[in-house]
Amino acid sequence: MTSTRYYTKRLGQSVVTVFAVVTLSFVLIRLMPGGPVDYLRAQYIQQNLSPEEVQEKIALYTNIRTDETILEQYVGYMTSLAQFDLGRSIFYDRSVSAILGEAIPWTVLYMSIALCLMFVIGVSLGAFMAYREGSYFDTLSTLTAIVANSVPYYIAAILLVYALGFELSVLPTSGRMNPDTVVGMNVQFVLGVFAHAALPVLSLVVTGFGGKAITMRGNAISELGEDYLRVARLRGLSERRIALRYVARNAILPMYTGMMISIGTMFGGSVILEMIFAYPGVGYYVFKSISARDYPLMMGGFILITVAVVIGVLIADLTYGKLDPRAGGESDEAF
Amino acid sequence: MARTDISDDPMASSQTTVPTTTDPILELRGVDVTFDMDRGQSRVIDDVNIDVQRQEILGVVGESGSGKSMFASALLDAVVNPGTLSGEVTYRPDPDTDIDVLDLSDSDLKRLRWEEISMVFQGAQSSFNPTLSVRGHFTETLKAHDYDVAEGLERARELLEDLYLDPDRILDSYAHELSGGMQQRALIALSLVLEPNVLVMDEPTAALDLLMQRSILSLLNELQDKYDLTVVFITHDLPLVAGLADRLAVMYAFQFAEVGPAREVVLDAAHPYTRALLRSVPNLDIPLEEMQAIEGSAPDPVDAPEGCSYHPRCPLATEECRIEDPPFETVETGHYAACYHHESTAKAVPFDIEDHAPEATEEWP
Repeated sequence: MTSTRYYTKRLGQSVVTVFAVVTLSFVLIRLMPGGPVDYLRAQYIQQNLSPEEVQEKIALYTNIRTDETILEQYVGYMTSLAQFDLGRSIFYDRSVSAILGEAIPWTVLYMSIALCLMFVIGVSLGAFMAYREGSYFDTLSTLTAIVANSVPYYIAAILLVYALGFELSVLPTSGRMNPDTVVGMNVQFVLGVFAHAALPVLSLVVTGFGGKAITMRGNAISELGEDYLRVARLRGLSERRIALRYVARNAILPMYTGMMISIGTMFGGSVILEMIFAYPGVGYYVFKSISARDYPLMMGGFILITVAVVIGVLIADLTYGKLDPRAGGESDEAF
Repeated sequence: MARTDISDDPMASSQTTVPTTTDPILELRGVDVTFDMDRGQSRVIDDVNIDVQRQEILGVVGESGSGKSMFASALLDAVVNPGTLSGEVTYRPDPDTDIDVLDLSDSDLKRLRWEEISMVFQGAQSSFNPTLSVRGHFTETLKAHDYDVAEGLERARELLEDLYLDPDRILDSYAHELSGGMQQRALIALSLVLEPNVLVMDEPTAALDLLMQRSILSLLNELQDKYDLTVVFITHDLPLVAGLADRLAVMYAFQFAEVGPAREVVLDAAHPYTRALLRSVPNLDIPLEEMQAIEGSAPDPVDAPEGCSYHPRCPLATEECRIEDPPFETVETGHYAACYHHESTAKAVPFDIEDHAPEATEEWP
């Protein structure tokens, strides 16, 4: 079957992409000035330890064999990576997979809430704007959407922390759960988790919905001008069916790929955000690992980000043809 | 083919002559379509009076921008916003029932469109939702009009077969998977699935090659016979429709210039514009030097000339033409021309159709 061949080929391309990115990251992070040993040495010197003690502690805490060449290190790393071993964090002295595995659900939790809200709000607002094209509502919404979309999310995050966290004290400004609650399926804990996720979600949604709304507005307006819409009205279809099956469906289609890619970028996008909210998710650890030159954890974080993006794009590619009959993958006979 | 009976017009000599027929299924009186624009009112259909005879094929011919498509929309009260349609459009499903189309409630208008009067547009591909299968279009249309879906799909299959298409293959396809001719035929089947009485076709063959144009026309003839359809066929291509239509109506500048039996209009046109139009139609048999374009250009709908709208381009124009818009005058029974000088056009705009347009005469039905 030709379509099976296409899927296999597309999967192969993804594996090659991941391999290339891993190699590139491995080389690049070793080009960064300093290294884990320098970082630790600086830390210990600040603690007024004698040079001998510093050397001793470094030898104790690092599992880096600095005597190996970069090629040997690379081969060693790739060999263990092939066995799904991401190594041990130098800074936290725990296995990288344990650190990331524990962090992933938290990032996924608030990121998926944020992405869902962003798309639902953006798509509905954009559709309404298109239907009321040229009205005050449309003009005002377009202006709001552009302004909101121009604010970087970390600026919005800082403003929101200041306003809702410190001035009004309605939402917690850091952490990911209420420390007084018992972890588990109880109301206090769940409420605490959502309260802690609220500000990161808010800063992403406030700065992100505008772009989706503007895109949706444009797509829907061109959809509304299509001849087949006029024919559909003459055929007596209800406005409801036209709005959902014709306008909305066809206007969302071009946004689908973007949606899948943003699911992929959720880990990469979390780095600065989680530092602002001191929210120990994937981004938080990636940031920490960079400042500590914690090579294994850094690599682990980068691989996670890469794999997520590649999977997102792969899913988008493989499923788009199912949603849009015009794009039937490489194999379709129709052109 | 159902032949048209043309009435003896009782008001033949009157100034208010209207091109009537004996058993009109559609009757338009004083119909205007206007758009308000920044630079004034754009009148794209100007006081049109015409009848469409039951079970005839009426060919409406005119150049681009003459108001043909607006005329088509007016028949279904489907003029797009912000255009306004005024005047009287009467639909007679049978000779004793009058329906005032412009006075229908929304639900009655929804029933009129597609169940009684249906329309096929130019550019079939853009008439289909690209993400919906052809079957989906049939099903949703049947559902929207509370028809039995299974029965309706059976009818759709029959229609597709009448149009020489493989029903299963077409129904399972998306529009982009079909060729232009297949799309156009599928669209014709879709327009007939609710068994309308009138089919309005707006340049249905414009995007097709010559062979496909011809075969669609002959299919249309068969369909008209089988389903007792009244067809209003709108085109800019006079020779194409001349062999198909029972009557021809020539549009110029948002009005009808000449209406009459197709054969008479082609062979013995009474309006100078019709004659000039016939003379300008490209034909391989005419030496290039004899081909003549019509001098000047069509009038602006915002600023149409006083009097006869054709007078700036007409070799026969007199003072009378410049001052007052000519009403329809009877040329022969059932043949009307809106021209003061229709008796002298043959001499003034010579055009020997026998020599120059053999295909129009040879293919006469």
